[in-house]
Amino acid sequence: MMSKLFAAFLCLWMFAASVPVMAQQPAVNSAQQPAPEAASPQAQAAQQLEAARKNLERLGDLATQAKDDDSRLAELKVEVDAAAKQIIGISVATRPRLDEIKARLTELGDPPAEGAPPEADVVTQERKRLLAERGEINALTGTAEDLSIRATKLSNGITATRRALFSNTLLKHTDINGSMVMDAIAAISEERQAFTRTVGSWLTFAWNFKRLQLLSALFLSLCAALVLLAVTRRVFFPLIDRQAVSEEPGYITRLSVAFWSTMIPTLAMGVFASTSYFFLQVFKVLRPDIAPIISVTLAICVALMFVSTLSNAVLAPKQNAWRLVRVSDRGARLLVWSIFAMTVVNGLDYLAGTISEVMGSPVVFTVVKSLIASIIIGLILMAMSLIKPIVPAGETLDGQGRPWPRAVKLLFVLTGVALIIATLGGYVGLARFIATQIVMTGAILVTMYIGILTGKAVAKQNALADTVVGRYLEKRFGLGQVALDQAGLAAGLGIYVLVVLFFIPLILLQWGFQIADIEAWAYRIFTEIKIGSITISIVGIFAGMLMFAAGYIITRWFQRWLDGNVMARSRVDTGVRNSVKTGVGYLGIGLAGLIGVSAAGFDLSSLALVAGALSLGVGFGLQNIVSNFVSGLILLVERPFKVGDWVVTGTTEGFVKRISVRATEIETFQRQTIMVPNSLFINASVGNWTHKNKLGRSDIPVTVSYNSAPRQVMDTLLQIAATHPLVLKNPEPQAVFSAFGDATMTFELRVYLADIVNGNGVRNDLRLAIYERFKDEGLGAPFPKEELEPEPLPPGPESDAVAQQSGAAGPAETAQPAEEAFRRSGTQRRPRRVTVDAVGDKD
Amino acid sequence: MKTFVSACVLTVMMSLPALSATVTNKDADAAVLVVVEGESRMEVAISAGGTESICPSGCFITTPSGDRIGLQGDETIEIVNGSAVVK
Repeated sequence: MMSKLFAAFLCLWMFAASVPVMAQQPAVNSAQQPAPEAASPQAQAAQQLEAARKNLERLGDLATQAKDDDSRLAELKVEVDAAAKQIIGISVATRPRLDEIKARLTELGDPPAEGAPPEADVVTQERKRLLAERGEINALTGTAEDLSIRATKLSNGITATRRALFSNTLLKHTDINGSMVMDAIAAISEERQAFTRTVGSWLTFAWNFKRLQLLSALFLSLCAALVLLAVTRRVFFPLIDRQAVSEEPGYITRLSVAFWSTMIPTLAMGVFASTSYFFLQVFKVLRPDIAPIISVTLAICVALMFVSTLSNAVLAPKQNAWRLVRVSDRGARLLVWSIFAMTVVNGLDYLAGTISEVMGSPVVFTVVKSLIASIIIGLILMAMSLIKPIVPAGETLDGQGRPWPRAVKLLFVLTGVALIIATLGGYVGLARFIATQIVMTGAILVTMYIGILTGKAVAKQNALADTVVGRYLEKRFGLGQVALDQAGLAAGLGIYVLVVLFFIPLILLQWGFQIADIEAWAYRIFTEIKIGSITISIVGIFAGMLMFAAGYIITRWFQRWLDGNVMARSRVDTGVRNSVKTGVGYLGIGLAGLIGVSAAGFDLSSLALVAGALSLGVGFGLQNIVSNFVSGLILLVERPFKVGDWVVTGTTEGFVKRISVRATEIETFQRQTIMVPNSLFINASVGNWTHKNKLGRSDIPVTVSYNSAPRQVMDTLLQIAATHPLVLKNPEPQAVFSAFGDATMTFELRVYLADIVNGNGVRNDLRLAIYERFKDEGLGAPFPKEELEPEPLPPGPESDAVAQQSGAAGPAETAQPAEEAFRRSGTQRRPRRVTVDAVGDKD
Repeated sequence: MKTFVSACVLTVMMSLPALSATVTNKDADAAVLVVVEGESRMEVAISAGGTESICPSGCFITTPSGDRIGLQGDETIEIVNGSAVVK
């Protein structure tokens, strides 16, 4: 029975295992040539691995072939890395099957030990089969492992080759001697002939067979450049127009005009160059031997445009009002010329180098051309040290300038001399590289610097409002001063970002890095920055910030919803509502913070370490803060007072305005806000006038001379209290004969009020009423008197009554010293007295 | 509220970062793994109950049971009876 069940289960399992295979089969068959082995995932993986191995071999061959081509190597490295990833992916795909096998093997159990009863044959068979399959998968993974090692080796090898390539070309030493010059001279005529022949044949070919294409390509690219130029001129006209103004334009205006008048024509030129090359390529006008020459020519045009517009923008030789640096007119003109000359020489050097390359001229010829170019640039640099551009403060720019400061002069001469020496010493590649960098990197850096200065100037307070753009925005969108200021800040930051994002890759490209490299770097910077064992990802951090913001918004929304819909509708007490709202707020923000931190890629388990260290810190330094924090939580839960309560703690008294997590805001009656640390509320006693209800007793001391009849006084006081609308009937008002003074008796009128906050007004009313009644009824002044002699009473029935009473009044033994009575009553009523004063002050 | 909390917890779980493969040894004895990462082949010993982070960018490991496994670099692995269980 058992074995039958087992067999049935086995059948079922086999079927289940074969289903995915069957499902995969058609796909495999349609994708590749039908092969019987393609049925099992192992065979499929084996095929894929074989393909990967071939791919690696191909890439290795390509890398060997392209060992002198830096950009090709960079591309190959990207491919090899992808292949390595793919190999791991193939072996990962076999993992589920291995897990299945392992699980099944565990189910089958170990083979029976020696001497144990033998197991069913079908089980032995299956175990064998499974073990074989397991071995097969392991072997496959082993192959994948080896392939992965090979891929990594290849990738590292490519990097090493590229590094060597870079340093070798830069520091390649060539012997400069007479025979080499002779060789070069011989090469000149050969190259000239080859060049004229090539260009001539191409021109004839293009004119005869591709006339329409050539012309339309030129026309289209010209159109594109003109449209760009016209549009940008139209849009940016205020930005690049150098009006012939009499007074000097503002610094920010000059900066932005310089920046944009460099950028816009250069961009237009760049668009013209790239579109014309693109169209020529698309219309198949170019031939492989002509294309590099054309592309270098176009690139040189762009570079020339860039450098000349930049030097014109900075030095403005014709309009000294727009000059960014303080140099003389003559100096500016000479500087612009020398910079232009350097660029032209450098560009021609590159053009000549490309022509030689295309014509297959000997390398010596290229070297000699670069040698000449480097020497010319060195000489120009040295000549630049002779220019006298410096204008002392206070002199006009059109006068005779003074020579450079000694350091600058020395720098020019030394650079020129170093270039010439390096060239003549045989390091032509290095000299050419330095010469190019002096011109191009220098120009890019200057533009970058101007861009950053523009950004800084725009971001300055109220700087944007003074510019044309600011005035336009003000007029068009009605922006206020603050909005304009913020817009200026944003614009400044935007310019920074633009400058950095545009020019840093440009400089890197200049230095011979490849686009693939820069892309890889940018990708790595955004996805993973490794510092030791910590990996930081900018994208992750942004995601974390976004998550936190989302969590924060959701929390706030939830808080509002809970407070406004759920709790307000269920008539929950304000205090509870406030506590719940605050608690939910903290919980939500804490949760959002956790989500944000984890999304940012920080391992929360490593935070445990920080928490451990922090707890030590808490023990010493942060004790107070933590105690306040915990006290705040206790206050929220326990609610000894709520917002709006009138509380007294220590010397502080007032209304609670806000209970936050560290401190509670109390507004005194003078409207001073006091932050009381929460721990004070937990550790010290807190008085709350309005804890459960606002019912409270208010006392009014009344002092009368011994001439008055105490009972009459008390009755009068009670009557007065009864007539006031705000005095409660129950508990009923009390009149108390509280003390004997030396010359006066002290009574106290104690009234209960439904809202103790009204105490001041009520007391005021009552005092007025008492005074008026006592005066009407002649009960004597309801206040203490300084003199011992009672005031002479006006003649009448009252004076007789007073005279009678005075005889009976004041048993000597009950009379206490006035000071003591005051003090005692003072201490007894102390909190009350404070309230009276305080409320009096408050209203 | 419950939904909100569970949604939050779920988000936290999902957004937990994939830094590197984590190997935990559940056995009573130390396990020695052969890790092939990049060009190098190295042995990594994990004490009983210990956890180790290996190969952030993909690697191959050979478990004590002799099985070879390819890892993408974001897995969590447990060593049970000398054999690897990928979670």
